[in-house]
Amino acid sequence: MSSAGENLRGAKARSAVSGIPNIDAHVRFAKQAEECGIESLLTAFGFHRADPIALAAALGMLTTRIKFMVAVRSGICSPTLFVQQVNTVAALTGGRICLNVVAGHTPEEQKYYGDFLSHDERYERTDEFLTVCNAFWRNGGEVNFSGRHYTIEKGKLNTPFVAADRTRPEIFLGGNSAPGERLAMKHADCMWRLPEPAAAMREKVKPLLDAGIEVGILVSLIVRPTHEEAVEATQLLLANFDGAPKRTHEEFAKRSDSVAFTSTYKLANADDWPAPYLWTGAVPYMGAPSIAIVGSPQEVTDALFEYRDAGVTQFLFMGHPDLEEMERFAADVLPLVREREEVPVS
Amino acid sequence: MKFHWRMPQGGERAGASRALQASLPETGLPDLDAQANFCRAAEECGIDSLLTDFGWTKPDPIVLCTALGLRTSSIKFIVAYRSGLICPTSFVHQINTLSAVIGGRVSINVVAGDSPEEQRAFGDFLDHDERYARTEEFLAVCNGLWDRGSVSFAGRYYRVENAKLNTPFLECGGGATALKAVAAPPHSKPALYIAGNSEQARQLAITEGTCWMQIADDPDRIRERGAAVLKAGKELGVRMSIIGGRTRGEALKNAYDLVRREDGKAETEFVRNSDSINVNTTANKDEWLRPWLWTGAVKTHGTPSIALVGSPTDIAEGIDAYHRAGVTQFILSGWPKLDSMLFFAHEVVPLLECGGKAAAFEHERVATVLT
Repeated sequence: MSSAGENLRGAKARSAVSGIPNIDAHVRFAKQAEECGIESLLTAFGFHRADPIALAAALGMLTTRIKFMVAVRSGICSPTLFVQQVNTVAALTGGRICLNVVAGHTPEEQKYYGDFLSHDERYERTDEFLTVCNAFWRNGGEVNFSGRHYTIEKGKLNTPFVAADRTRPEIFLGGNSAPGERLAMKHADCMWRLPEPAAAMREKVKPLLDAGIEVGILVSLIVRPTHEEAVEATQLLLANFDGAPKRTHEEFAKRSDSVAFTSTYKLANADDWPAPYLWTGAVPYMGAPSIAIVGSPQEVTDALFEYRDAGVTQFLFMGHPDLEEMERFAADVLPLVREREEVPVS
Repeated sequence: MKFHWRMPQGGERAGASRALQASLPETGLPDLDAQANFCRAAEECGIDSLLTDFGWTKPDPIVLCTALGLRTSSIKFIVAYRSGLICPTSFVHQINTLSAVIGGRVSINVVAGDSPEEQRAFGDFLDHDERYARTEEFLAVCNGLWDRGSVSFAGRYYRVENAKLNTPFLECGGGATALKAVAAPPHSKPALYIAGNSEQARQLAITEGTCWMQIADDPDRIRERGAAVLKAGKELGVRMSIIGGRTRGEALKNAYDLVRREDGKAETEFVRNSDSINVNTTANKDEWLRPWLWTGAVKTHGTPSIALVGSPTDIAEGIDAYHRAGVTQFILSGWPKLDSMLFFAHEVVPLLECGGKAAAFEHERVATVLT
């Protein structure tokens, strides 16, 4: 969402990008996403972006159907206050807010926000944070909690979570580490994974599915009329980078303590095509989420169903640029997906 | 002279005590249409900003003001917030994002919190003095980000390292061109109203704020306490209510009706549990500090209910007295809020010796908003 109107934003150093929201561009993008049948838009968290809650509130006021998946880190605010903010956005937008829980990327940036905990401690704190949040959403009554990171006494709020079909927001949680998985099983509705070939994911996602948690992948998309054109598009994307920006993300990978992000770097270095539909060539330039499903509409549809058969039921797509890729997805891929979903699985 | 008004809550019952108001579940939900109408009426009345409260019974004010800002064009919002509930970097991030969305129409009223019980519900277990010490650190980090663009801070309550944000505070918005024009430094910062009658609050206003908001008291005492603040180049403000009538007699009846409806037990209970200096020093005084200054509703409606009571002339005399005492900003409220705001803009402002932005409002435009 934050790259609306700014192609290849991900290739720039974070200190060089603007965090001033271009509301007109965001609204155009969000309305197009509504037209395209997209369920929700991710509003990410970071010092180089607009604040995701305030942005979701603004865009929610200016749109009608799309949901906003607001990124949340623990350690930034009181869970009571966070629930109050989320519930207020829900009240203003007919419940069009869901959450993407992230642990944070670099220790360096966490310190901007006063967070000096280690990777594992952050998971522990996120666990407490979500326990309190879910207590507000599930109990409705008074919330009491005493933990290592948060203590809440007789917590109550007059602002409930209001939506047509829910009394609490859908919670997504990203991460590939073992603590991340435990956290997802305890608190989330869906866990985001970075993509590996579908067959390789099947076994890994089973414990989550058994626990009743959905699995989704965070993946870029390159759809073109033919396979050849799609592959050519990958090379055109690379042509945007002339060596220099590569360092941006290599530097980042060195500083990051996120298991998900560093493991994708390893995958990217091993082989640019870990599966016929999965391309990792842009990862050194644009970061881990640029790992892409590539192909013709039929090939991409087949790939999505391979993932579905492996247990993956939600997809968080990115495009470069987002708008064009989203329109191609809506026009050429989504009809094939919906048609095939109608066919009963034999 | 700037006149601000308090934003009505969703489902607000005119004249209801603080305790009754909190017990109404609908006050937790925004009433966007009614609140946006109130905002537009305030714009027509020449009101500068609307104070949007923070509390467990209310929607979050940052989010609410984002929505209301998108429905209005010139009114500003004073967002009330408390330290200790959110990391200062993130708070500045949210406020700056809001400023970009609504063209900089936001300022901040930082309060330390007046109910230990409510603070604990948000995970805050500090006592009164510590909450002020923490608020000072909170604002030091905020001001570092606003004034210098980057801040490292190691205090007792907050520690940040090389904090910076790519979202600056923007004073004017309105489309991509305007945004580009203001995106380059140096950037502006929001006005910081520091509320509270304690010595800590006054010091905080001097070191970190732009205006010290006192709960209404006799203008002589406001002047005496505020001298140091004025000397430091900061403004003095007063938070109070307006209870008017065509005559003083009618106003007195309105005032006494307000308290007659209520049983004061709940508020007495609140006062007993509060560790706020202003709550405890204003609750038990003689009801009339001046012929036009009444404290009789404090037990039922809290300290913001200390009111200028009387005819338009009486109230104008009161405002002028505060102005002579060095006060340049007022956050006002009344019952019902809209009627009292219109009364003030129509009847009182034109009589002010000290003038005021609101004097130029047009009756007809106000009438249009109301129908």
